[in-house]
Amino acid sequence: MTVRHATAWVGLLLAALGALPASAENDPQLNLPPTPKDWAALASLPDWSGVWTPYISDQNARIKSDPTPWLPAVAKQIQAMDDAEAAGHPRGLFIDCLPEGMPSWMLISHNALEFLFTPGRVTLLGEMDGNRLRRIYTDGRGHPPDPDPTFHGHSIGHWEGATLVVDTIGVLPESLIAISEAAGVPNNGDLHVIEHIHLQGADLLHDDLEIIAPHVLARPWKTTRIYFRQRARKYDIVEGVCLQGSMSERKDEFGNAVFVPVPQEDGNPVPPK
Amino acid sequence: MKTLTKTATLAAALWFGSALVPASAHHSFAMFDFGKVVTISGSVKEFQWTNPHVILWVDAAAAGADPAAAWSLEMTSPGNLTRGGWDRHALNAGDKVSVDLNPLRNGSHGGALINVRNLTTGKSFTTNLRDVEKPGLK
Repeated sequence: MTVRHATAWVGLLLAALGALPASAENDPQLNLPPTPKDWAALASLPDWSGVWTPYISDQNARIKSDPTPWLPAVAKQIQAMDDAEAAGHPRGLFIDCLPEGMPSWMLISHNALEFLFTPGRVTLLGEMDGNRLRRIYTDGRGHPPDPDPTFHGHSIGHWEGATLVVDTIGVLPESLIAISEAAGVPNNGDLHVIEHIHLQGADLLHDDLEIIAPHVLARPWKTTRIYFRQRARKYDIVEGVCLQGSMSERKDEFGNAVFVPVPQEDGNPVPPK
Repeated sequence: MKTLTKTATLAAALWFGSALVPASAHHSFAMFDFGKVVTISGSVKEFQWTNPHVILWVDAAAAGADPAAAWSLEMTSPGNLTRGGWDRHALNAGDKVSVDLNPLRNGSHGGALINVRNLTTGKSFTTNLRDVEKPGLK
C-alpha cells in the first residue's frame, strides 16, 4: 500500500468514526443519561416495592436444613463458636459495627431492606448501617478485570423473566460467611456469589444463593433466604447507626451536646454487680 | 480477667454517674436463657433508645437477689420496637415498672426483655420479632 493509499484509508476511517453517534458501545466508560424509554422500561419489571423484612426463624432453621459444607478445619472453628454460644458466651462477629457485607447481609440480617429500580441499576438499601448498600449494575457491563475488594463486592445482574440473576465478585477476604451473629468465618478470598432473586408469592421474596468460597467451603453452598413485604408506613426504613450504641449522650464543658464513647465488654452491656 | 472487667465496669459507672454502661453493636442473644422467665419490679434508671439494641436499666429487686441492684434489659432496635407500638417516651427515668425477662445465663443482673408494664403510665409494651414473620403487617 502506498503512503497515499494509507492516508486515504486513515482519512476514511476518521471520517467514519466522526460520523458515528456517541453511544455506550463506542465509549464504555460513560454512564449515559437514561432516555424516557429507559424509564418506561422500569414499569415492566416485577413490583419489588415496599419494605422487606427477613424471615428470621427460617434463617435459624436452615442452619440444620441447609448445612454449610465447611472444609473440615473450618468446621472445627464453627463447632468451637457453637460451643461458646451454647455455654452463654457467644462470639460477637459483628460488634465492630462494620458492614455485614457479602454474603452475610443476605444470610443473617434481622433488619429490613428495600430495592430501588433505576435505569441500568438495582440498588439494595439495608436498614442498619451494618447492612449498608449494594449496587447491582444491570446495564450490560461486565466485572472490571481487577476490582478493589470491598465489603459488598462488584455485582452485575440481568433479568431472566421476573428473576434477577446477580453475579458478585471482588469481596474483601475479611468479609464473613456467617450463619448467625455468633458463628461464621472470613471467606478468605476468591468469593463468588450467584443469586436468583424472585417473588415466590405476592408478598414473598426469595433470594436463592449459591456461595462459592474455595478457601472455606468444600463445594458451592446453595441456600435460600426469605423476606416478607410490608407496605404499612410504620415499616418505613429508619436510620440506624450501629456505633451510636457505643456512645453516651453528655454535655461538654461548654454545655454542648456531645457523644462520648464508653468502655464495653465484647460489645455487651455490663450490669454493675 | 473477671476482676479486670469488674474494675472497668465500676470505673465506667462512676465516670458516667447515674447513666450506666450502655450496650452496643450486634451480638448474639444466646447469652440469655430462653427457658427461664424472671420477673423484676422497680423503677426506671435509664431508657437508652438507641441502635443497635434499646436498653432499659432498672433499679430492681428479684426474689433472692440483692435489693435495689441495677438490671439491664435488652431489646431489639428502635425501628423494630416502633413497629411494635413502642416509642422513646414509653419508659422514663423514675417510672415504676414490672418486667418479665429471660435472664443472662451467667447469673448477672441482666436479660432479654419479654414485656414491661409501666405502672406509672398504665401502659404495657412487649417485644417479639418472631410474631411478625408474615407479610402485610398493619
